[in-house]
Amino acid sequence: MSTRVADGLGSIARLVLGAVFLVAGGLKVTTPEASAKATQAYQVLPHDLAALVGYALPTIEILLGLLLVLGLFTRTAAALTSLLLVAFVAGIAQAWARGLTIDCGCFGGGGTVAADETSYLPRILEDLGMLACGLWLARRPSSLLSLDRALFRAA
Amino acid sequence: MAQKPTPRSARQAKIDAVRKDGGGGANRIVVGAVVAIVAIIAVVGGVVVAERNKTDRVGTSTAVPAGAAGMGQGFVANADATLVAGAPTLDVYEDFQCPSCAQFEHVMGATVADLATQGKIKLVYHLKTFLDANLGTTHSLTMGNAAMCAADAGKFQAFHDTVYANMPAQEGAGWSTAQVKGFAERAGISGSALDTWQACVDDKKYNAYVESTEEASGKAGINATPTVVLAGTKLDFDAVPDPAALTAAIEAATK
Repeated sequence: MSTRVADGLGSIARLVLGAVFLVAGGLKVTTPEASAKATQAYQVLPHDLAALVGYALPTIEILLGLLLVLGLFTRTAAALTSLLLVAFVAGIAQAWARGLTIDCGCFGGGGTVAADETSYLPRILEDLGMLACGLWLARRPSSLLSLDRALFRAA
Repeated sequence: MAQKPTPRSARQAKIDAVRKDGGGGANRIVVGAVVAIVAIIAVVGGVVVAERNKTDRVGTSTAVPAGAAGMGQGFVANADATLVAGAPTLDVYEDFQCPSCAQFEHVMGATVADLATQGKIKLVYHLKTFLDANLGTTHSLTMGNAAMCAADAGKFQAFHDTVYANMPAQEGAGWSTAQVKGFAERAGISGSALDTWQACVDDKKYNAYVESTEEASGKAGINATPTVVLAGTKLDFDAVPDPAALTAAIEAATK
């Protein structure tokens, strides 16, 4: 694969992953209490800590999404995003395995839903797809149209 | 003879020279530090603002209604009824903005209220407000407080039933202040009792209590409404779809 093609793929991975995180964070950032309750519904973290994580997550998603879309510190942003995605997959999988019936709260909403309204597998597959983008970028952060290249060209 | 550089590569040479002076373009450490500081301020600021907004919404009143044993404890709606021997407890978790709760009340409400009056169940309401968080409103909390204020006047059940009979056409639209007062009047609160009720509503007297039952039930894993728990067992509405089935289930749970 030529460098240019690989860089182009890197750009696509950046934009897809960054845009999804921007949208996911943007939809939740205005309703932090819903995000807190969605996080608590996973019943993983202690109740009060889960609320804090729920308050913080939308902002973190927006920041990582921005860095990825802009292509700034791509490797670090992609690595952190991949870590988050691994945590999301683990959270959804444990909810599924424990028989909780919750909405993932990925793009807002969240909390308990009827058993036939859960969609664990599609959410996990989505996250794994995004994880593939994140791992590619963490391993090979070089891409076209990035601030990394514009700002740090000499490096 | 040395080859003369073309104008373009001469310019590139100058750019490179400047870059070299500046240490290879922008300084990664400086840019990284700026990004990190902005990120920390945004995340910490977001958490602080979210917590403050919640405190503002709920207020700091520590009043607990007479029908509840304490913060986080459900409100006993039929404390004045004499319970029959072995009457089970029926815990009802409801959010006033929840359309399915209105549906439950429409089908089962009258039966539940009758059984409570007859002392065949200990009827305990746990008011939830999670739809406020989802919808970005304060109607669940405001109505929860207003219902507890009605409880002070001895009219909880009537107020509660009136609200569910007058749900907004669209979830989240809520009710106007005048409408809420109208519910209190229709529940039979009048005269000086109505003034007391209004003061209680204005003071958000039971906001913190209502939020405490939301928190306590959420901690117990009850994040959906209506959730009805009979003698400690969650009621399955597929198995108990109508008043007759509910009455039978309650009889079966009576020891």
